[in-house]
Amino acid sequence: MDFSAPHVGFVIAAYVISALVLIGLAARIGLVLKARQRELKLLEERKSPRRRAPR
Amino acid sequence: MQKLANPKLFLRLADMVRPWVLGATIVLLVLGLYLAIVQAPQDYQQGETVRIMFVHVPAAWMALFVYSFMALAHGAGLVFRHPIAHIAAKAAAPIGACFTFLALATGSLWGKPMWGTWWVWDARLTSMFVLFLLYLGYLAVWSAFGEDNRAARIASVVALVGFINVPIVKFSVDWWNSLHQPASVLRAGGPSIDSSLLTPLFIMALAYAGLFVTLWLLAMKAEVLTRRIHQMQVAQAGEA
Repeated sequence: MDFSAPHVGFVIAAYVISALVLIGLAARIGLVLKARQRELKLLEERKSPRRRAPR
Repeated sequence: MQKLANPKLFLRLADMVRPWVLGATIVLLVLGLYLAIVQAPQDYQQGETVRIMFVHVPAAWMALFVYSFMALAHGAGLVFRHPIAHIAAKAAAPIGACFTFLALATGSLWGKPMWGTWWVWDARLTSMFVLFLLYLGYLAVWSAFGEDNRAARIASVVALVGFINVPIVKFSVDWWNSLHQPASVLRAGGPSIDSSLLTPLFIMALAYAGLFVTLWLLAMKAEVLTRRIHQMQVAQAGEA
């Protein structure tokens, strides 16, 4: 790519915005999944002592 | 197909498939970006601006594909009454909305140097903008009605009625006079683009498709876990 060519700023902006949006989307989905896994683990931990109690 | 409607089996298969899809996506993305930025020649009319096509066109294709997938999933959900079909559509929606936004934003960045304007209300751009609004409306339905069957039914209506817009986007450049150029890849008679530009375009499109599958599988897992958490909370509240 010729960085001295006219309008090259528009090309860079298009790639930067694509990268930012897709990385942001991936990060958001990853964070939501981690939060759900944490929440589920807490619920299972809270549930398990009651099951073991009769023994 | 019916077996995959079992969330546990689906998640187990998804966990097996996901690392392979992610690996293929990374390879395709690196190769595609190398070909798009370094190897592809300048266009004789557009110059370097032609490189915007390698991120704009795959985003636009994925925007249409994801919406079609959502309509199909909701259709299957209504016919076969599998809740996982509705979850599949819901998980795909934010990804499709991001692809649509990227198609609009990168198209605008191409339009300014090539057409002399960021935006025109022509058929292709307007129908693409309507698609973006449909995605936002669809997400608003899930946000407003929560995760019950009512939300799934209303979201199904939005997705299926909104699907009318997909062929309008595709054929808008043929049906109306448009500033946007007509189809040059998916057209009768084959692509009109040289292979030096077509190869990186297809590789980037495959990379975007792989990215969609990877993110959709993760989003599906989060959605299934959300429902499991809700069921456990209801069960624990009942026990208390």
